[in-house]
Amino acid sequence: MSMARKPLIVLGVLLSVFSLLATQCAPQATPAPPTQAPAATLAPATQAPAATQAPAKKRVLRITFAWPNRIDPAVGSDYVGSTSLANLYDTLVFPNAKGGIDPWLAESWDVSPDGLTYTFHLRKGVKFHDGTPLKASDVVYSFNRLKTIGEGYAYLVTPGVASVRAVDDATVEFKLEKPSALFLPSLVRLYIVNEALVRQNTKPEGPYGENGDYGKEWLQTHDAGSGPYMVKEFPLEQYLLMEKFTDWWGQFHPNAPDEVRFIGTTEAVTVRSLMENKELEISDQWQSFEAYKALEQIEGVKIAALPSMSSFYYMVNTKKPPTDDIHCRRAMAWAFDYEAAVSLEWPGTKQMVGPVPATLAGHDPNVFTFHRDLDKARGELAQCKYANELDKYPVDVHWVAEVPDEEKWALLFQSNMADIGIKVNVVKVPWLSMVENTSKLETAPHIATIYVSSDLPEAGLMLKQRYHSSTTGTWQQNEWLQDKELDAAIEDALATLDQNERFAKYAKIQQQIAELAPSIFIYDQVEKHAYRTCVDWPATRGESSVVMGYQLFAAHIGVDCP
Amino acid sequence: MSLLSFLVRRLVHAVFVLFGLSIVIFIIARVMPGDPARMAVGARAPQWVVDRLRAQMHLDQPLVVQYGYWLRDALQGDFGLSLVTQRPVTRDIQEFFPASLELVLFSGVLSAVGGIGLGTLSARYKDTWIDNLVRLFSYAGVVTPSFVFAILFVLLFGFTLKWFPIIGRLSENVPAPPTITGLITLDALLAGQVGTFADALKHIVLPALSLAMGSIAQEARITRASMADNLNKDYIAAARALGVPERIVMGRFLLKPSLIPTVSILGLDIAATLSIAFLVELIFNWPGLARYGMTAMLHKDLNAISAVILVLGAAFILANILVDVIVAQLDPRIRLRAARSE
Repeated sequence: MSMARKPLIVLGVLLSVFSLLATQCAPQATPAPPTQAPAATLAPATQAPAATQAPAKKRVLRITFAWPNRIDPAVGSDYVGSTSLANLYDTLVFPNAKGGIDPWLAESWDVSPDGLTYTFHLRKGVKFHDGTPLKASDVVYSFNRLKTIGEGYAYLVTPGVASVRAVDDATVEFKLEKPSALFLPSLVRLYIVNEALVRQNTKPEGPYGENGDYGKEWLQTHDAGSGPYMVKEFPLEQYLLMEKFTDWWGQFHPNAPDEVRFIGTTEAVTVRSLMENKELEISDQWQSFEAYKALEQIEGVKIAALPSMSSFYYMVNTKKPPTDDIHCRRAMAWAFDYEAAVSLEWPGTKQMVGPVPATLAGHDPNVFTFHRDLDKARGELAQCKYANELDKYPVDVHWVAEVPDEEKWALLFQSNMADIGIKVNVVKVPWLSMVENTSKLETAPHIATIYVSSDLPEAGLMLKQRYHSSTTGTWQQNEWLQDKELDAAIEDALATLDQNERFAKYAKIQQQIAELAPSIFIYDQVEKHAYRTCVDWPATRGESSVVMGYQLFAAHIGVDCP
Repeated sequence: MSLLSFLVRRLVHAVFVLFGLSIVIFIIARVMPGDPARMAVGARAPQWVVDRLRAQMHLDQPLVVQYGYWLRDALQGDFGLSLVTQRPVTRDIQEFFPASLELVLFSGVLSAVGGIGLGTLSARYKDTWIDNLVRLFSYAGVVTPSFVFAILFVLLFGFTLKWFPIIGRLSENVPAPPTITGLITLDALLAGQVGTFADALKHIVLPALSLAMGSIAQEARITRASMADNLNKDYIAAARALGVPERIVMGRFLLKPSLIPTVSILGLDIAATLSIAFLVELIFNWPGLARYGMTAMLHKDLNAISAVILVLGAAFILANILVDVIVAQLDPRIRLRAARSE
């Protein structure tokens, strides 16, 4: 053999080894037996006896999420945590697609004439996943646990509640400190836990006195709920696997998944490959514009643009020159090109109408809305006390570094303001610095560009989050409005139990805020997901609530994928 | 100096190094921006909840006192509670470390076999097109980060060719073996689950290869350079002149002494892989320690950060000791020098 041929032979051997590795010559693993007995399909009599019973194909719903996932009902409150909790636990009331609530574990309730006592009558025959009947005492325990731990959605559910008691096994009574329109909708975040099971798994040592660790460690990887799905496996960093709770009292979609798997990744290449390989039914909402375009090209995959309770605001500082002058603020609001801004987002995105997202109950669709009109902008600017010395007052726009897309709107804003002679400095700021800067008036920028989401589908809550004096000094309000009359109006509206009357008050407040122009209302955010068309997903038809987590309520989703 | 006294001396050094590391990381973790207690309980939790957690973690105490508490517990094997997982950090590490170790061991094997193999090939066929091809691969491999390889492999072998699974350590319906070591491939073999072993092997190939590519490229260059250097030595010429078969000249006389720099770098590479694997672990949804550490840093999970850094530090020290032992075995001159200096 000549020396010249040896390299070729060696290379050939290397390639062969690689090919051998790649052709998966290893034996296939035997699938584990399904944990739930699937309905057996009877084979025709002509088939061999061994084939007479074939297990039905398991319906699986797989969704990617940003991780980590916290599934303790007194801890979880972000997107993946809220979605997990909605599927694992039941609540007294359930959010509907119209922005209201429907009876759920509570079949009905009575409200005392003073609006301070709510008596809930529980549905009978509801069982937890371990078969224990659900009782009023479990509701009391769940509330007390949430209040004591104080994390998760405690800030939403527990303030203003004076006491909770079980009248009998099927009746629970809540007493409020003062009437609140937010109390009933907030109960969508009171997840009812199995008291006996949690106590059984509580460590005696912990920061909660006689309640030890209140079962926190155990509930991080297990559930104690009665919801349509229950935890099957939860390797913390990888995925949450839930299986159908066949004894659930509610109505499943005829093709509801037998298993739901939340996968902890949002990596574009992984998501795209999983979707292409038909190993993923619904993608997360954190993909880039380009990634969604690529996902849309996969056969049998569509992009859903779901409404959300979140909007994109330019929060304008009302205490710092030149934006402390209402005419300067109004001039900027008239000069901004909203159509161009909206066109930079996914199709289906709409300009904000007023200070709260259009999905919230009590939103006023007729509230005054700015559009680009340079004549009006110049007219307002002429009335601004800084009109003749704008050079001395450049406007700083701080955008969040972790959301690179925000730069597009910041540059658009800069260009639009140049049209009326306002100089804009665009500054990229890390989120932690944004939080720090907005906490003090001295460091708060002229404009902070931030997405804000409402916790409940109620306009009053968003008005409070965004414009009440209690939120100045937080990232939720760079406006520093500090208007006592407005505060009183918001508090009064939130204490009004009659819905029509309350919504009329909300409308008035929205109008008042729009005229003050403390913010530039850019657009209502849509939540984008790639999904396989073999999934029957009510949210894509606007048939599920926009409350975070409930758009992916798996019991109401059908999966009929090959 | 005997091997035993060498090991004892190095282990005593290691304790001092880890102690120093613990102080440095303790301080660095605490000067990072953001309040860990606030980040753990959420932006909207009331202040008393934040204060309670701060007190629970001794964050309301001076730094020295905090370190004292931490050291006291750490010496008893208790690294505190993770703010992210709400579980003892020790338990988290027990869960996540084996996944990383398995990945790193496979990656190490691939690096050693691939790097030494390609390097030997390159030296054997010095200045032929094979040498040039390996050189090209080495340059590309050294400058390309492992996550780029991960993306390329997912696209090529997972997405286009569909040869390998994309995420996780096992397929959805494959039964996991009983946990003995935490290394699924090994546990599957110990339990006699051949199918599970094969499935786990298929899952580990792409992430391990992604991590190994840079190391393979580097080892190949070092092995080649070292072998090329020794190739011109008189003893090789003498061996050839005496008619010793080329296979024995290359394998026994040339490769062994040429491996010393390769093994030194390989050991450190393997230890470094533990810490740089986070993007690869993220892409392949691999539940490893690097990803856990990265999540801890993003959430300012103080206890988890300290523990992960200490584990990584210990891995580096251990790798160094192992490298020294192997190098001493490969080169008798080193053993002799050490013995003379004693």
